[in-house]
Amino acid sequence: MTTRIHPPDTPPPHDPDDECLPCGRLLSRVWSDWEEGAADSHAAACPDCTAAVAELERLETAVRGLRDDTEDASGYDPAPLTERVMDVVRLELRPGHPLPLGTPEEDMWVMEYAAARVLRAAAERVPGVRSGSCRITPERDMPGRVTVSLHILAPITAPSLPALADEVRRSVGESADRRLGLEITGIDVHVIGFADASDDSEKGFLP
Amino acid sequence: MPGNRTPTWAPDAGTGPDDALLAVRAGEGDEEAFAVLVRRHAPALVRLATRLVQDRTEAEDAVQEAFISAWRKLPEFRGQSSFGTWLYRIVTNRCLNILRTRKPQSQLEAASRISAPEHSVAPDRITEGRAAIEELHHALAGLSAEQRACWVLRELDEQPYAFIAETVGISEQAVRARVFRARRQLTDALGAWR
Repeated sequence: MTTRIHPPDTPPPHDPDDECLPCGRLLSRVWSDWEEGAADSHAAACPDCTAAVAELERLETAVRGLRDDTEDASGYDPAPLTERVMDVVRLELRPGHPLPLGTPEEDMWVMEYAAARVLRAAAERVPGVRSGSCRITPERDMPGRVTVSLHILAPITAPSLPALADEVRRSVGESADRRLGLEITGIDVHVIGFADASDDSEKGFLP
Repeated sequence: MPGNRTPTWAPDAGTGPDDALLAVRAGEGDEEAFAVLVRRHAPALVRLATRLVQDRTEAEDAVQEAFISAWRKLPEFRGQSSFGTWLYRIVTNRCLNILRTRKPQSQLEAASRISAPEHSVAPDRITEGRAAIEELHHALAGLSAEQRACWVLRELDEQPYAFIAETVGISEQAVRARVFRARRQLTDALGAWR
């Protein structure tokens, strides 16, 4: 006795590779019931279904062997492949737009990407902070000045997010001023989430 | 319940929230963030590709190309899926293309291998199991590219049908049909050996 109700149209378009077993059941159904652990009392008692399942189980035994043979991902050294990928990537860098340094007369520029790298690192000097997106945009009305929009993950242990944001802003502002000489009008710090507490590294996640 | 398996590996396993953060940074041009992602995801992707194309060198090439195309597309990547899932899809589709170009030759090859006399020698149970794995390995070459991709994702990578459907870009029902046909062909091949 079974309460399992099969839609009358399985499998809907008749598959020429399917087979109707002598007991009347389609092979595709017998196998999928087995796979889903949904075999009913008919399947358990029926010699046709049992034989069909035995055939699939034989295959599955070989499959397990093949799976184990190809299971060695943990032993794979990704360093050579990473190097090859990065060799190509370094030829296709995306430096972003140029940002003004100093006064307009000085005609000095830094690429957004290089500046963002310095500012992200500055944010990550605040213990537990991880930085994500960092966009630096020139101010339209104030030539030579930029605004910074920085996304961070905060440490889950931070007692006060406003205080943390202030600290990040201070660190980023200092780096922008001393290391880059960027004239910054504002630093927006967006806390987009919390950093994994199990990760106790305080240096940021880049080597 | 013999068939009720849970995936042992998902593309997102062990990556944590900073995968998304690194992908955003890489999209903004931070190549060091990208290098971390490559190192982190390469082992599982090479394993996937090796299972799909059954050749380590070709698999590594496919993964390498997938990462390079990911670097180019990252500025448009909006995190609709995780970085891991996105790469899994790119690698699978590259491997599908490799399989499509090499199909006819291998099928003939596989057919000749199946009827090769050395496989009828099976002195005891242990070598019988080994021989069945070898036979399965050869029989896989006889599957169409599409059948094989679905079968490998299901049986070797143990992914759910819905995930495979999304990865390959076909309906779940079509995935089930392909896996069924692959199983039929493979059980036949193993039966021929017996």
